[in-house]
Amino acid sequence: MAILKEGFKDVGVVPALIIVIVLAIALQLTGAWVTMLVAGAFGGLFTRRHLRAFLAGFLGVGVAWSIIFLYLISTTPVIAISGFFIGLLGLSGNLGVIVIVIAIIIGALLGGFGGVMGRAVLELVESRGIRSIETEEARSQSQLKP
Amino acid sequence: MKRRVGKFVLALIGPIAMIVILSMPIGLLYGGLGGVIQPIGGVFDVGRGVSMPYGQSVKIPGLNAHVEVVFDRWGIPHIYAESVHDAFSVLGYLHARERLFQMVLQNYFAAGRLGEVVGREAVSSDKFYRTIGLARAARATYQWYLDNAEHNTDVAYALELVDAEVAGVNAFIDSMTSETTPIEFKLLGFTPEHWTPVDIFLWAKMMSWSLSGSIYDLYRQWIRQTIGNDTMYNELFPDLIPYTVPIIPEQTDLSLEEFPNAPGGFPATSVPPRKTGDVTAQTPTIDLTKLRLSIDIFGKEAGAFGYHELLGSNNWVVDGVKSTTGHPILANDPHLPLQAPSLWYEAHIVVPGVLDVMGVTFPGLPGVVLGHTAKTAWGFTNVGADVLDIFVEQLNPSNPDQYMYNGAYRDFEIVDETILVKGGSSIPYEVKWSVHGPCIDSVVSTYDLDQDINPSLAMNWTGLGVTHELMSLAMLNKADNLQEYFEAVYWWDSPPQNIVFADDAGNIAMTVAGRFPVRTGYTGEYPVIALNDSVGMTSSIPYAFNPRSVNPSQHYLQSANQRPIDPSTYRYDVLGPFDDGYRGRRIDYLLSHNPSVTVDDMKRFQADSLDVSAQELVPYVISAWNNAGDGNTTAQAAVNWLSGWDYVMETNSPAPTLWRYLLSAMQHETFDELRSINTGLLLSRTPVLEKFIKENNMYYFDDHTTSGTVETRDMILVRALHRALDNMASDLGKDSSTWNYGNHHSVYIDHLARLTHIGGGPHRGDQYTLNAAGEWRVTFGPSWRIVADMGNVAQSYGVYPGGQSGNPFSSHWSDLFDLWYAYKEETGQYGYHTMYFYVSPNSFRDADAARTMIAGSTTFTP
Repeated sequence: MAILKEGFKDVGVVPALIIVIVLAIALQLTGAWVTMLVAGAFGGLFTRRHLRAFLAGFLGVGVAWSIIFLYLISTTPVIAISGFFIGLLGLSGNLGVIVIVIAIIIGALLGGFGGVMGRAVLELVESRGIRSIETEEARSQSQLKP
Repeated sequence: MKRRVGKFVLALIGPIAMIVILSMPIGLLYGGLGGVIQPIGGVFDVGRGVSMPYGQSVKIPGLNAHVEVVFDRWGIPHIYAESVHDAFSVLGYLHARERLFQMVLQNYFAAGRLGEVVGREAVSSDKFYRTIGLARAARATYQWYLDNAEHNTDVAYALELVDAEVAGVNAFIDSMTSETTPIEFKLLGFTPEHWTPVDIFLWAKMMSWSLSGSIYDLYRQWIRQTIGNDTMYNELFPDLIPYTVPIIPEQTDLSLEEFPNAPGGFPATSVPPRKTGDVTAQTPTIDLTKLRLSIDIFGKEAGAFGYHELLGSNNWVVDGVKSTTGHPILANDPHLPLQAPSLWYEAHIVVPGVLDVMGVTFPGLPGVVLGHTAKTAWGFTNVGADVLDIFVEQLNPSNPDQYMYNGAYRDFEIVDETILVKGGSSIPYEVKWSVHGPCIDSVVSTYDLDQDINPSLAMNWTGLGVTHELMSLAMLNKADNLQEYFEAVYWWDSPPQNIVFADDAGNIAMTVAGRFPVRTGYTGEYPVIALNDSVGMTSSIPYAFNPRSVNPSQHYLQSANQRPIDPSTYRYDVLGPFDDGYRGRRIDYLLSHNPSVTVDDMKRFQADSLDVSAQELVPYVISAWNNAGDGNTTAQAAVNWLSGWDYVMETNSPAPTLWRYLLSAMQHETFDELRSINTGLLLSRTPVLEKFIKENNMYYFDDHTTSGTVETRDMILVRALHRALDNMASDLGKDSSTWNYGNHHSVYIDHLARLTHIGGGPHRGDQYTLNAAGEWRVTFGPSWRIVADMGNVAQSYGVYPGGQSGNPFSSHWSDLFDLWYAYKEETGQYGYHTMYFYVSPNSFRDADAARTMIAGSTTFTP
């Protein structure tokens, strides 16, 4: 458990954010949206507060998806596609950019919840580790008693 | 510790909620929102796959050699291959790349499996197609090809094309990435299965069903029983439409020794049977409500092409004597549903020494359906003959799974057609088959409407067995001359088509192709009880004697779905109903009055929007107003519009709008005898009305719903004028300045899944003009236009309303529609593209010095 603590130090929100951005872009290339939870969770491991974990995941995935969308907008008819998509919902195609904004928010939420989940996993594992260390220490002390 | 576990559990709520929400189906999004809305793998990256990878190479397993494909500026592939296998593998790949969603949707529709794609809402459609058994017929046809390929080189050749097409389609499916997956599949959360040879025959069957499968027997029976007066029925609903100019001016028989059988190799009767007046079988009385319900269900599931009344086509050809080029010029425009993506995909296929053919293909089917080679050109129109009969089986009273035939009860074949529905559920469904075919009343619950509580209406349709249209097309694509055309068309058995032909040797021909049944013991007009094999479609007309004309003395041939041949000059019965004939009359007039026809004339004729019915009838309305008008100023203004009208259905005039309302009102006012019986009855047909008006049929002009007054023709026509104006004011508003035709008559091409559309602008023409455009919101019309000059076939012209790509975000989604729709007043023509026709990639590139013809090229490798 010490390895866990040593390996996932609290690096602060910004570095955690960068980690999430990089990971989210890499995982999104697989085309599996569920992996954004993983990206966020990974960021959550490098923070020590739930709010920071959420922010790292939320902003990280949000920025990652924004970067990808910017690339797609510059190379493909994404605005037309989003207009087409929103048209299916009975809204004006001119509001297509809303779809992209909503998509980014959904991705960001996945990252944010992933971050909280990652943080909670770490805490759970840490507490089990502390508990086992405490148990180990107590057992050692009892053996030392005459 | 407990607190941390509690926190952990709380932390899981958000992710789990997101997964559940983003995975659940929402409306059309069967795969959920999550998979659709992400930047990569969702709908957004389909934009990355819109263009062919020009300058790159694409692998297709199984190719024997490299295949170079040059894409022209319209995205039309020019496929240069060393073997037909390679050429058609690449065609299959391109079909799938551009139109896979269309192909899959169409085939699931035809197979009665649409519910597996879109869910429970498609179950009634699935029941219908399971009942008529297109998939079963496709399997039987494929088996025939397998069984005969070894002994017949033409069959083997056709099968080679089928296998190559399948290989190409599957090569694309196997290589599909998120970027090349059709957006529709992403929305539906659907993964396509591999394509199979049966899929190819299945779509061919659907084409056949859509063009020749209809239940005129039930419809005639319903009208006849509803009217209850055979004299009136025969006068108002004749099989022979007045004033028709038949397709065949001079019959040309082929050698019975060379072609002893019917088309497709079916047994034929060279000695015509007695005329159908000799009827021995009994026409049963069927409950009217049951008839109506059966008609309605067939109307609802009218096939891929929708309502038969809107189907049609034109084709015509002039020979070198009548053309300015000294060579034949051929034109064709099939009137099919205008859908997005289009029914058609254009291609040019070159295999040196074997094939050099260009025209339109059906996505998923190997072969050019309509087009030209280096030496020949051809085109289709639908015949519209009645080749489907309904047999009322006499059930065993003690066992409804048996029916009487040849003196004994025999078992129905009961076919399990369990229907699967998206999501995993299944619906048990069985279809009974007699010797005549499937019982079509399996699909509609009409049992409690009469004494029959079990299915008993069996459908006998010539398309519902082994058919050979794919083989015919394969041969037609290779035909170099008239004789090879005859040999290719011999195999065209279903659906009946008027196949026009021209070659560079100066020949022109028209064959009313297809297998036409010879009926014994009944007429084929009504449902019939056939207790033995002496009653039924006992044989067929020999191909040698099919209605056909070759190099006629009038120097032109034309067809527009009208009656093929004058029955007084033809020894066999070919049962209608056929088209009203106005388009045929118009093109016959244009060709007969034009001594030297140019390619530009042909284009003008295809755009011609003069309505012959208006030309024939409007003068009578004007005369009636002058004789019996009441001085109403609104009506007088309307008559003034008509007086100055040239009968062209243009968008910038109110007269065409008035004419459509007026024609409908004239039918309403004249045929009180029908509407007083049942308001659902069709009010006869326009040529019958024309005949009554011209011959001043006093019986029908008298309104029998009034007493003490005998109405005259003029009184009825004036009443019709008032009715038309009242209806226009009611439907369109009282401000007549908004009544211009183009304000109300528009062309609108829906996406197959109604996700988007093409068009929406004002549109010329109507159902009786050569530029066919029935309905107010036009969804049928010339689905392909071609003008081929056999003096310079490389300068042929074609266009269809759509684009090569099925991806709505491609630049080739609707670019051809823009051409098709662009009407130029100064030339009187719509737009066309030149059908580039170069024998090799290098000659194509050499000709494109200005770099305006070629968009790029791709090499396909093994």
